[in-house]
Amino acid sequence: MEKLKLNETPVRTSRNFNINNIKLENVVIPERLGNFNHVTIKAETSKIEISNNTNPIDLTYGLGEELTSQVAKQANQKLKVKIDSKTNQEIQIGFQFDKENTQLVDNIEIEANEDTKSTIVIKYDSQKDVEAFHNGILKVQAKKNSKLNVILVNFMNLESNHFLSIENTLEENAKVQYTIIDFGGKNSITNYYSNIVGNSADNRLNTIYLGNKDQLFDLNYIAELRGEKSNIDMQVEGALKDTAKKHFKGTIDFKKGCKKATGNEAENCMLLSDTARSLALPMLLCSEEEVEGNHSSSAGKVGDKELFYIMSRGFTKKEAMKLMVKAKFNKILENIKSEELREQILNEIDERLN
Amino acid sequence: MSKTKLDEINRNIYNIKNKDEYDFKIKKGLTPEIIEEISKQKDDPKWMREFRLRALEVYNKLELPTWGPDLSELDMNEIATYVRPKTSLSTSWEDVPEDIKNTFDKLGIPEAEKESLAGVGAQYDSEVVYHSMKEELIKQGVIYTDMESAVKKYPELVKEHFMKCVPVHDHKFVALHGAVWSGGSFVYVPKGVKVDIPLQSYFRLNSPESGQFEHTLIIVDEGASLHFIEGCSAPKYNKVNLHAGCVELYVKDNAYLRYSTIENWSKNMLNLNTKKAIVGKNAKMDWVSGSFGSKISMLYPMSILNGEGAKSEYTGISFAGGGQNLDNGFKVIHNAKNTSSVVNAKSISKNGGKCTYRSLVRINENAGGSKSSVSCESLMLDDISISDTIPVNDIRTDDVEFSHEASIGKISDKTIFYLMSRGLSEEDAKAMIVRGFAYPISKELPVEYAVEMNNLINLELEGAIG
Repeated sequence: MEKLKLNETPVRTSRNFNINNIKLENVVIPERLGNFNHVTIKAETSKIEISNNTNPIDLTYGLGEELTSQVAKQANQKLKVKIDSKTNQEIQIGFQFDKENTQLVDNIEIEANEDTKSTIVIKYDSQKDVEAFHNGILKVQAKKNSKLNVILVNFMNLESNHFLSIENTLEENAKVQYTIIDFGGKNSITNYYSNIVGNSADNRLNTIYLGNKDQLFDLNYIAELRGEKSNIDMQVEGALKDTAKKHFKGTIDFKKGCKKATGNEAENCMLLSDTARSLALPMLLCSEEEVEGNHSSSAGKVGDKELFYIMSRGFTKKEAMKLMVKAKFNKILENIKSEELREQILNEIDERLN
Repeated sequence: MSKTKLDEINRNIYNIKNKDEYDFKIKKGLTPEIIEEISKQKDDPKWMREFRLRALEVYNKLELPTWGPDLSELDMNEIATYVRPKTSLSTSWEDVPEDIKNTFDKLGIPEAEKESLAGVGAQYDSEVVYHSMKEELIKQGVIYTDMESAVKKYPELVKEHFMKCVPVHDHKFVALHGAVWSGGSFVYVPKGVKVDIPLQSYFRLNSPESGQFEHTLIIVDEGASLHFIEGCSAPKYNKVNLHAGCVELYVKDNAYLRYSTIENWSKNMLNLNTKKAIVGKNAKMDWVSGSFGSKISMLYPMSILNGEGAKSEYTGISFAGGGQNLDNGFKVIHNAKNTSSVVNAKSISKNGGKCTYRSLVRINENAGGSKSSVSCESLMLDDISISDTIPVNDIRTDDVEFSHEASIGKISDKTIFYLMSRGLSEEDAKAMIVRGFAYPISKELPVEYAVEMNNLINLELEGAIG
């Protein structure tokens, strides 16, 4: 079977480093899709327009031609969310994979208009025994002075494939915050691109990933800063157990003209087994003088001292580990206001670390 | 508003052009016949001739890199890969022809030899023209000679190590090197011998439209230590010159090697060099690297930490001015328990120059208890330059401490203001900041090189803060 080549980095490095792209074996892109009907949407529809009038697909990066074109031609779920209301709006969209709904190719567009404020939660979940396929595109247009909070939750099982391409455009003074909870999928492959064109636009991206068994995460996050005084913050916290593997490719690109822009990128990986693998490429590209860019990356096991301390308080090693992982993730989880969702995430961590 | 103006490196000394006189210059291009001819001219033993031809086959099979700077202007049909100067190897400067000797005089090599070096090798185009070492080191069994003599005098030692650390399949320019290599130094430091004063090889390329492909092979045996310095320069010509040298370093158990390089090639040079060290148990390999010259540079020294407790440290600075694309960095493979690596890389870009820091840290499954710490900082001196950081961190086991941090930015206005409030002029404040930025590197260099580097970083300011 031909390997599926995905998620190219914006700048290549040596092929021997095995990080310019990801090649997947044994992944079949379904040619004919069934329906996907298990979708729940919660929103105040008098204030938010939800339709299936999505625009033609046009991505700067994306995961790759094959997957992008599948969404363009075959999407079995199209959603356009248009936010005009100035009062704070919350929209919840849930996709539940089950025996009748195993293949989802979704195209979601969010248009946050001027001066609006909103939170959107998109959740992908699957029944345990379903071998699901998900390929989605999420496109966000954040207009002048809009504030948008996007929470993406991937709770899919470990037999499934999860592919997601995200593209954001931030206009002047737009504030877009993402919280990505990436736990599911045998393969979880994400391409995230932000085009930060507006002056003083601000993009914050917080991700937690948790890998066990032979899961593979390939996260390709790209932010291009074009607006003056614009900002990108990427914070990625993860934990890997068993033979799980993670590739993190984070690019902050200061384009010419983004004077006084700032960019920070921090990626930390907790290795919970001696067979887990963390591969990281935190890139800083800079064509502008008056900017400030920083990145940091770290990897290592849970500190023996900390473990010992917690265990001395009566916890088993496994419980102590879970506590450490949750503590590490806590700062990012605080971005989620819904207690119910936070609780679900914490339960999921417990279950996945068992 | 005017900007901070950093002087271009004064190249007058390096730009001395001698007449392109040679004893033999191979015709341009790369064919088996040309390789055979080089081999014949060099009077290679049979195994080396066969090695060259095999390397050429590999070269023809490998692709150009699909990443990094654009190398499309390199046309091997326009490069003469072997130029033998009009002299043979001497052990006395008196015997070196006047024009060549004058060049090295102006570069300060004989003077440095008298004052602060234990041995010197000087290569002019494709051949080593001068080689000498202090008597007491010879008595201790230290070997320091040109590579051709080593192939003939120490065939077993050379065969065992030659292009084993850097195999010809590594990449296209290593294969090219294997086919056309000429010159370079061979050093062997016997067990337990500490060479306290550095050895230095200086490489000078005078001939236009040619390449230099010197091979440096250093073996520091168990418990021994050495500091080796490598310098290189060339006058500027209109068409590209090529440097594709290869450095192979074997640092055996408990040994120590410091390899310092000041690279100041002319700005028509494509510097596609390869350097690699294999480091044994509890041994230490230090790299100190200053990269100032070249039009394009792709250079990523590599340490393979094969012995338990092996250590490596890399300290490097790149300084790219107008028309320069310096793609430099470091690679380290942790391949045994309790190994450690420290990387401290800096870059300065100005006048439209481009600096890229590209790296790899790999901690393998068998390298539990290892530590690695990487820091890289980039300074942008104007808004027409480019600075990129492309590091790969590949961690394959849990029992490690790994951290990487990088930052990019311009000279902080606040810091300038602070220094000026302490009575410094703006010019002096900026000069102090840039020198301070480079200090962690310059302090690792031998004194005369540190002075040279500070001279290179000579600030000139005009008007207000840019």
